Amino acid sequence: MLKLLSLVTAVIFWGILSLTLPPEIFPGPLETARALWGEIAGGQVVTDLAMTMLRVIAGLLLALMLGVPVGVVMGLNRRAEAFLDVWVMIGLTVPSLCYAIMAFIWFGLNEGAAIIAIAVTAAPSITINIWEGVKNIDTRLVAMAHVFEASRATIVRRVLLPQIFPYVMASARFGLGIIWKITVLVELIGRPNGVGFKLFYWYQLADMRQVLAWTLLFTIIMILIELLILKPIERRLFAWRPKVAV
Amino acid sequence: MTSVIEVASLRKAFKGRDGTSRAVLTDLELTVGAGEFLCILGPSGCGKSTLLNVLAGLDKVYEGQVSVSGGRVGYLFQEPRLLPWLTADENLDFVLDSCRVPTSRWSELKSRYLAMTGLSDYRDYYPHQISGGMAQRLALVRALCVEPGILLMDEPFSGLDEITARRIRSDLLAIWRQTRKTIVFVTHSAYEASFLADRILVMSGGAFRQQMLVPIARPRNYDDLAIFEFSREVIKALGDEIGGGPVPAVLPVTEPILIDDLDRHVAARMNI
Repeated sequence: MLKLLSLVTAVIFWGILSLTLPPEIFPGPLETARALWGEIAGGQVVTDLAMTMLRVIAGLLLALMLGVPVGVVMGLNRRAEAFLDVWVMIGLTVPSLCYAIMAFIWFGLNEGAAIIAIAVTAAPSITINIWEGVKNIDTRLVAMAHVFEASRATIVRRVLLPQIFPYVMASARFGLGIIWKITVLVELIGRPNGVGFKLFYWYQLADMRQVLAWTLLFTIIMILIELLILKPIERRLFAWRPKVAV
Repeated sequence: MTSVIEVASLRKAFKGRDGTSRAVLTDLELTVGAGEFLCILGPSGCGKSTLLNVLAGLDKVYEGQVSVSGGRVGYLFQEPRLLPWLTADENLDFVLDSCRVPTSRWSELKSRYLAMTGLSDYRDYYPHQISGGMAQRLALVRALCVEPGILLMDEPFSGLDEITARRIRSDLLAIWRQTRKTIVFVTHSAYEASFLADRILVMSGGAFRQQMLVPIARPRNYDDLAIFEFSREVIKALGDEIGGGPVPAVLPVTEPILIDDLDRHVAARMNI
């Protein structure tokens, strides 16, 4: 209920703010919604949105495949930690635009290069999350399981994984947030379709109605994914956690 | 009396960072009889937890002979060490499963020991929803329900407040009288050792310095003056061994407050 109120307030605020500039430069919510509806009715939206979603999902999966193992190794092994520490820092520091440029120049203007650029940008953040998580594993629980004759497989499955899993979940969510933004940038400089391409296209035509319409579309999709997919998964998985009263 | 634990010339050393090694256990000899309640008493760092880890099989790097027979080993740690993502019931299932206890016996075992500790109504609670005292009781249930022949306990009540701790100590003695497990109980509290044990081994510097048989008849009352008197002797022995100063003169004992006849269930609700 409070969320709905907050959403309505945001839209009203946007409406009031848009009155300060001419509608061609800063369209209000109504005009933007009308432009968005026009695009949806035109049928072009689906292709671009699907392409962006595909890149986001492929990028996220590849980023997890790169980031999680490195994070686990760094959490478990002190030497690996000392060695890879600098790599992760460098990986974090290089701007996503640089990764995108390098990928497109080296691998060509294709889908693979785009996904690699997206994954490499997000992987270091995921690594840091997992690294911290693995370092926080409670070894006292492992000793407990040993005393009660648990096999190695049981310990991994029922004592270690439940401790690492919240961090994987958190990095997937957090990674998704970063990846949305990188994907749009990558599409802007190197792909012939997708939300980022559309944004740049309408920017070049200086059509602010369309720019805001695509931004709005993107935001709505993101919120829906968060509320309808990620939140329920998390709620179900972590029902055992104490609720923090604020 | 048959012995279930036999330790002969057990030695263990930890390597320091500078390469020097520090002896933690020096030529220990230990025999524990079946059904005995043994307390190992000593100051922090005397090697008593290390010994317990060797007996439990958690620590396999040592010299000498260690033989533990008489069935499975149950272990109660200083902290409850429950799996926080499992309910009380599921935590018990976890160890019943990992110890390969036949499924058909689970519900009977769980019910029996949960009832003994007054936790029957808390099966569906997660560890964070119950008090520290109840969590430690649950850890005791967990150790008991895999039907160990030997119970190893590493200062299990030292993290609890005094009222909760004395309540659980009395519970433990009651359970021990019913089940007659062999118990090796490590503690740094002379009073706790005097209340619980048949025999006390005073440990310091990685070796047993003195053995004391507790001459107090069972069942024992936590507020029995005889326990207090005996614990003073134990402290004196401990002080002699670790070179402490003279033990202060006996203080006048005030009338102890009895809580032992409090209804168990009420106590559980009061989180003690």
